[in-house]
Amino acid sequence: MKAITQVLAFCCTVFCFSANATNAKDIQTLTLKNGMKVLVLEDHSIPNANMYIFWKVGSRNEQPGTTGLSHFFEHMMFNGAKKYGPKMFDRTMEAAGGANNAYTTENLTVYTDWFPADSLELMFDLEADRIKDLAIDTKMVESERGVVASERSTGLENSNFRSIAQPVKATAFHAHPYSWPVIGHKSDIESWNLKDLNDFYKTYYAPNNAIVVIAGDVKFDNVKKLAKQYFEPIPAQPEPAKIRTVEPEQKGERRVYVHKASVSTPNLLFAYHVPQTEHEDYYALQILVSILSEGKSSRLSQALVDEQIATDVFGFMPEAFDPNLLYIYAIASKQSTAAQVEKGIIKQINRVMTEGVTEKELQKAKNKKTVGFYRDMSTINGKANTIGTYETFFGDYNKLFEATSAYDKVTIEDIKRVANAYLRKANRTVGVLSAKEDSNENDL
Amino acid sequence: MKMTFKHQTARYISWVLIALLGSVVSVNVQANYTLPEYQKLTLDNKLTIYLMEQKEVPLVDINVVVKAGAIQDGDKAGLNSLTLSNMQLGTKQQTKVEIEESLDFIGAELDTWSNAEFSSISASFASKDQAKMLGVIRDMLITPRFDAAEFAKHKSRHLVRLEQQKESPRAVIGTYFNKLIYGDNGYGASVDGDATSVTSITLADLKTFHSNWYQPQNTAVVVAGDFDSKTMLIRLKALFSGWQNQTLPQRKMPTKAKSFNQSNVLLVNKSDATETRFLIGGEGIKRANPDFVAISVINTILGGRFTSWLNDELRVNAGLTYGARSSFTSYAQSGTFRISTFTKTSTTVEAIDLALKTYQKLWQQGVDEQTLASAKAYVKGQFPPRYETSTELAQLLGEMFIYDFDQGFINNFEHQVNSLTTDKAKHIIAKYFPQQNLQFVLVGKAQDIKEKVEKYGKVKQVNIKDIGFNIQ
Repeated sequence: MKAITQVLAFCCTVFCFSANATNAKDIQTLTLKNGMKVLVLEDHSIPNANMYIFWKVGSRNEQPGTTGLSHFFEHMMFNGAKKYGPKMFDRTMEAAGGANNAYTTENLTVYTDWFPADSLELMFDLEADRIKDLAIDTKMVESERGVVASERSTGLENSNFRSIAQPVKATAFHAHPYSWPVIGHKSDIESWNLKDLNDFYKTYYAPNNAIVVIAGDVKFDNVKKLAKQYFEPIPAQPEPAKIRTVEPEQKGERRVYVHKASVSTPNLLFAYHVPQTEHEDYYALQILVSILSEGKSSRLSQALVDEQIATDVFGFMPEAFDPNLLYIYAIASKQSTAAQVEKGIIKQINRVMTEGVTEKELQKAKNKKTVGFYRDMSTINGKANTIGTYETFFGDYNKLFEATSAYDKVTIEDIKRVANAYLRKANRTVGVLSAKEDSNENDL
Repeated sequence: MKMTFKHQTARYISWVLIALLGSVVSVNVQANYTLPEYQKLTLDNKLTIYLMEQKEVPLVDINVVVKAGAIQDGDKAGLNSLTLSNMQLGTKQQTKVEIEESLDFIGAELDTWSNAEFSSISASFASKDQAKMLGVIRDMLITPRFDAAEFAKHKSRHLVRLEQQKESPRAVIGTYFNKLIYGDNGYGASVDGDATSVTSITLADLKTFHSNWYQPQNTAVVVAGDFDSKTMLIRLKALFSGWQNQTLPQRKMPTKAKSFNQSNVLLVNKSDATETRFLIGGEGIKRANPDFVAISVINTILGGRFTSWLNDELRVNAGLTYGARSSFTSYAQSGTFRISTFTKTSTTVEAIDLALKTYQKLWQQGVDEQTLASAKAYVKGQFPPRYETSTELAQLLGEMFIYDFDQGFINNFEHQVNSLTTDKAKHIIAKYFPQQNLQFVLVGKAQDIKEKVEKYGKVKQVNIKDIGFNIQ
């Protein structure tokens, strides 16, 4: 811990940034008659633009038997519609200089098109076709099952994090759909049918369930005209059913152990139940995660990596519509056991709970958030993704531009309070991934 | 090791990301785009400086590139990598903890990177912190502390990470492939070393390597972002003018690719594998190849985008894999070409056969007008976002220094793409895409696939858990 004179100096550190970066008034909005919301950011720095479509559907909207359907459906959205049949979505887009991808999370499915700005109308045409008239081909469903099975197994083969995260989620959640992996269970990937897919499409791919963000070398008036022409005729649908299940409070620590022969040293994953993103404790929790694990001078990095207990450590708390988890992940060093790493993490968390954090640590985390904001906003893709993320999770893109001041309001007392409220033993799940089999020798 | 994890699953692994991970230089480049203005100058001590102002966000990027890489490691594989990493762990002016604390406090990011030929220290930070950051980077570069305790700790972590790499076939298959193509030296050098070589490296080795290779005549400092060039130049001169040269050691030259008179199959056994990951290829091209751009357009058709032939056949039509692609990795004097994909153990042969059959289309069917026009539009259209941020521009200027090219590469790109015809494509395919004696690396469960893959060439089996990448 640093001397008090230094602490005073930190309080005087003020971030004075020039005003060239994007701000809230640069974003123009439009809501179509069918309820689809369109956000536009004109940015003429490169002759390109993008279209990000955020659908409010993810693995939380699935049921046992169809886990992974949101992600599989994301793949099927590229496999043919009325005007642009199988393969033609990608072929047409790439021939016009465009590229695309898409991702699915526990909460959202997001489609991303990146293109030369003069192909804007074609993007509307391609997207409108698949949103309105997707034609699910049974042959494509079968080959896509193989693709997703390969995606699932290559993730498990190459990533220890995936191997332990799935069992940890399944242990932390007994009731809520956050318990299953986004990619779904193997048996479900093999089993869903055409009816599952068609029902899913009708329910969730309704324009009133989407947020569209377009950033780049475009004009708002032109975007407005095209949105009205291509997207407005797509009929709205009844609002999808709310998620009913509320995860019951966890009343004691839960543990899970996973054996994987190729793991060289044990991997540990801690997960603590935390509230949804819109909760008032969101900002304090993000600052707490940063103080604990962001950067080499963070608490856990110093106590575990510098002290040779772990080789790597990090923490994160994903955005979520429903109460979800705050994670801390560590990989043991050669000379450490899983138990030593676990003890090391708990010790640091307990220190925050009992002694709190310093002004300097708090200011450091706030400074990181401010610089991180500018990094996110340094590309048209970063801008579109960030604007859409705030609009969906916080209900208002303006919150993006208020985030720095929201972080600034977090106090030392807030950090101590949220640490005590959420990082309790009874509220955590601990997962261990190890090459050592969970054998019987110590059972008796 | 940098890690980001999300509970997220994407449609496919980003092509751009793969291009960056798998290749030293960018392959896709574009139309109507001209490089923003920049200054290049040389100080009296032969230090090269590049300055490019970019004012969109209040951030600055520095990229220090040094012409020293793993080829110069000699029999101490990993020496350059360890030297570079230890340069971050404290300077004569500040301890490791002081530096980390001070950089974290201002939200600055600092990374090091090296390959067989080159090393880089790069940083991204707020404009208002430029004086502080320039000072820290200067100290790391010229007056590293090389502290014994930090060296020992880092070495121990590095040794564990070498083992951890072997947990992931994706992380190590490329190193095996380069060993197969080049042998142990030159571009076959393993940048991070192995347990035996790293154990033998001492702090004295690092100090010697640093003073031999980290010299102003061997280095460029690139600055891009929101700053004033005039003030920046004054700062850089004040910080770096006093840095003295010594005689550079005799530079070990990279090796040429081996000449193969048969196909070889390097089978890397991972006994708990559920899938087989493989690379098929041979020698490619060096970065300065005059047909570099044309080759990248043809590769786009074969395996460089979602609708490429390889991805279309193996993923879209057959459902054998999440993704299949091909790429050229170019170095200063040579390069590799490889087809890469993965599939469940039981469909290994089916996937390899289909990849080979699809590859043969380059010669049997060739590239038609429509496909070529699409690929040309694609590489041009996807170019501008590649050079959008000051981080990307600083990296590009660094590549210009190490590979000795200038803005003409960017500014003439459109012309080069446009002038590619189907006739020229035929010539490019015949000249640069390896067709005979292809080399294979397979990582998977050897017990289940060994006999079946003997038909592709002479099989040599090693175990992924063996120390290093010894394939002899």
